[in-house]
Amino acid sequence: MADRPSILERTWSTPVILIGILAALQLAALAVGSGPFNQTIIEIFIRVVLVVGLFVFIGNSGVISFGHIGFTCLGAYMTAWLTMLPAIKKSKLKGLPDIILNNKLAYGWGLVAAVIFAAIAAYVVGKVLMRLSGIAASIATFAVLAVIIQVYSNWDTVTGAQSSVVGIPIVRVVWPYFLCAIVVVIVAYLHQISRSGLALRAARDEATAASASGVNIPRERLIAFTISGGIMGLGGAMFAHSVGVVTPDTFYLGLTFITLSMLVVGGMNSLSGAVLGVVVLSIIIQLLRWMEKGVDIGGASFALPLGVQEIAIGVVMIVILMYRPSGLTRNRELVWPSNKLSARGKPNAPADGKTA
Amino acid sequence: MDQALSATDVSVSFEGLRALSKVTLDVPRAKVTGLIGPNGAGKTTLVNVLTGFQKPTDGSVSLDGESMIGVPPYKVRQKGIARTFQSGRLFADLSVLDNLEVTGVGLGLARREAAKKADAMLEWIGIAHLAERTAGGLPYTDERRVAIGRALMLDPSYLLLDEPAAGMSAEEAADLARLIRRIIAEMKCGVLLIEHNIGLVLNICDHIHVLDSGEVIEVGPPSVIKASERVRHAYMGTQAEAEGAVL
Repeated sequence: MADRPSILERTWSTPVILIGILAALQLAALAVGSGPFNQTIIEIFIRVVLVVGLFVFIGNSGVISFGHIGFTCLGAYMTAWLTMLPAIKKSKLKGLPDIILNNKLAYGWGLVAAVIFAAIAAYVVGKVLMRLSGIAASIATFAVLAVIIQVYSNWDTVTGAQSSVVGIPIVRVVWPYFLCAIVVVIVAYLHQISRSGLALRAARDEATAASASGVNIPRERLIAFTISGGIMGLGGAMFAHSVGVVTPDTFYLGLTFITLSMLVVGGMNSLSGAVLGVVVLSIIIQLLRWMEKGVDIGGASFALPLGVQEIAIGVVMIVILMYRPSGLTRNRELVWPSNKLSARGKPNAPADGKTA
Repeated sequence: MDQALSATDVSVSFEGLRALSKVTLDVPRAKVTGLIGPNGAGKTTLVNVLTGFQKPTDGSVSLDGESMIGVPPYKVRQKGIARTFQSGRLFADLSVLDNLEVTGVGLGLARREAAKKADAMLEWIGIAHLAERTAGGLPYTDERRVAIGRALMLDPSYLLLDEPAAGMSAEEAADLARLIRRIIAEMKCGVLLIEHNIGLVLNICDHIHVLDSGEVIEVGPPSVIKASERVRHAYMGTQAEAEGAVL
């Protein structure tokens, strides 16, 4: 009995497989090498970061949050403020503090600052919100999103209000995004198998029994909320550097819906589900985008009407919810075949003749 | 009584409805205290008060002399008062081992330590073979034993069992009685047993409280409870029934 392998030894294959999937995308980008294709892969890595960020809180706690994209907004603007040229900032964002107005940091620092800023914001918001549960908590997170977007849509001198903030340094190489996605998958995995992650998943299954087992639920939720807020901030900063432009509208309902869809389609309660949901839906989105642009079939050009892509995502989501409500992964983790027996969330199997 | 979990003059009202009225009860260490009474008598409400899930409208709860009013449930557990639930309430998506581990980490252990204790506890109860199973699909009796194991992690001073024998066969109930005796003998834990199975209660309890409509109507050792006319009247209905099938 004393020789039971540690949780890390039993489950490490999951992050390895997930990183393998991401590495395959990175290799594809290297092999193809075209600008538009790279941009597609970059988009996928950003979404992996966002959806895994959602998973850290939603998947482990079971509390649906509609507000996380607010933290993405915070991260995106933070890196914009720090990394843009002082000349642009002085003409468009005069209200920024002098130290930010007169300086320019490398984008790496922008990412770090985005994580810290978003995590702090999540901690402060979570301190209040984590006392709520169920639908009350979900609606409250949505209110947080609305507040953040309103502030950023109206604070003229600091955020440029409704007009786009242009001139954020664009990072076109793929590997920094790949690296961020890997780091985020590892962080999410380590949180999931940590004491806090276990306690939180127990509270998701049975809140009352978790309290009766000594689990301080608001505290464990706050830890997850803060980590996931930081990850969402990173995703926002990555987004800002991938396109060079940010507007508050980018971080509102559209992005909230698509990222939540990816999490649900993949399987809300598993890290593997978060990553697979992104990959599968991204591939569908990309195929539909190509078809909206027009495909040549036997000389005749054929194009889907614009908007089909959004409709298709909605349909996929409904179909998944009907036939596979626990997502593509059925809320299980991908594991190496050899250690399948000891993986978390495995189906009930008869005891394998172990001595008691 | 200083080494005890005590409720003194506890009253609970739900919007004017009295669930408990001036209930006084002591759960001493290393003894089994029984709590019986008809459905709706307020037994579970009392357990909820003792474990911090329900704030009493009036009265006090103390642990070895220290007041427990206003202490949240997770802290109550950290102070050594464990409980089980009528409906099992296992963490359905987690393995049996993880179910026990949760208490370990809830009480401050690292996962590795918690897993070790959980393994030892499963073995002590005799269900080590279930360790890797997902808790959600367990049969009823195993579910109960896992719930007791989860509550017993890290030697609580008091264990409150809310109808652990519900739905068990006579044989399974006898197994449960043996387990409770071992808990008393080996862990010196104070047990509060809430049960409808009167035979089990009379058999293993040192002291029994009878609740009816939120009030304690009789207190005493099994012999007193057995002989009490009031208890028969309130709890068992007719005398004939009391002497027949139930006992």
